[in-house]
Amino acid sequence: MDSSTPFAHASEAEMARILDFYAVRWSYEPETFPILWNLDGDVVESFSPDFYLPDLDLYLEMTTLRQKLVRKKNRKLRRLRELYPGINIKLFYERDFRALMLKYGKVALADGLSGTLGQVAAPYGEPAPTAAIRATDETDTPAEADTGDIPAATVSTATTSAARRRNRRLARAAAGAP
Amino acid sequence: MTRAPDLHADVGEILLTEEQIATRVAELGRRISEDYAGRPVTLVSVLKGSLPFMADLMRAIDLPLRIDLMEVSSYGGGATESSGLVRILKDLSATIEREDVLIVEDIIDTGLTLNYLVRYLRGKNPATLRICTLLDKPARRLVEIPVDYIGFTIPDQFVVGYGLDYGELYRNLRFVGVLRPEVYAGPAPEAEAAGV
Repeated sequence: MDSSTPFAHASEAEMARILDFYAVRWSYEPETFPILWNLDGDVVESFSPDFYLPDLDLYLEMTTLRQKLVRKKNRKLRRLRELYPGINIKLFYERDFRALMLKYGKVALADGLSGTLGQVAAPYGEPAPTAAIRATDETDTPAEADTGDIPAATVSTATTSAARRRNRRLARAAAGAP
Repeated sequence: MTRAPDLHADVGEILLTEEQIATRVAELGRRISEDYAGRPVTLVSVLKGSLPFMADLMRAIDLPLRIDLMEVSSYGGGATESSGLVRILKDLSATIEREDVLIVEDIIDTGLTLNYLVRYLRGKNPATLRICTLLDKPARRLVEIPVDYIGFTIPDQFVVGYGLDYGELYRNLRFVGVLRPEVYAGPAPEAEAAGV
């Protein structure tokens, strides 16, 4: 797969590495599903699952936020399933990601890839960051929780660049840099 | 400082006793014997975790059978990680073409390893290919694969024993138990951890 894939979160890059390892083909945010329209028929909310696995006909959405903060995403997912009942989608929670890392003997890595600071994504194709940076604050940030309002064509790029700028600030703040 | 592993104290709860496992393995053996009646079957065990299950299951099957062993690398498993691709560490020692093949697994959780294995083995043109697992953890499933024989469906907990490891340890426990979280909160006892 293309090593320049602009993942919004390090956990997504790690998932891509796992899928590659087991020879499961994937594409990143290939499709955006409208889930809410205004009275004029304009799309006001949409949902872009993180991965599509064509061999399994499965969409995979990852969230490494704390459980109490995933309500919004769960609501979007319910709406998606109502509107598109033929879609096969799985939501991968933070606890699922931690369990996966434990299974692969990378439990320490899960700490560094979870939550807001996990959005300092290691470029795909490079080793994932170590757990040196630990999540100190997890908030329902736009990059993770509310990307659906952005038109389809700009979801991944706009989200990623904004998230990276914000995360660089967060990372500098966490490291005590000016 | 790395804590010293303690084979029994590190297990917080016994999920399946030795007796429960033995009873269920005998039942699985009877069912497999009935389903394959009159046909020889080849059992393919996936190292290392399924070894105890394989050893007990094969003796519970009343059929002419062959056994073979395979081992595939696990994601994050030391040197294999650098290649970035799953590798067959030990391949079949004989052909399975036109054979009835039963994959014997210790546990299925994400299904990623099994999915790879099934695709690989199908390429060797067996007459039939079925799957038998001692433990099924459906809460963790990513890849849905039809499983023909399931010993136990277990909750979403990290289990060790009866072949299942953490950091290559605990495989020799006669039961299946839940590992205490504080055991895996620290570094794994060995570089290669939890190849389940």
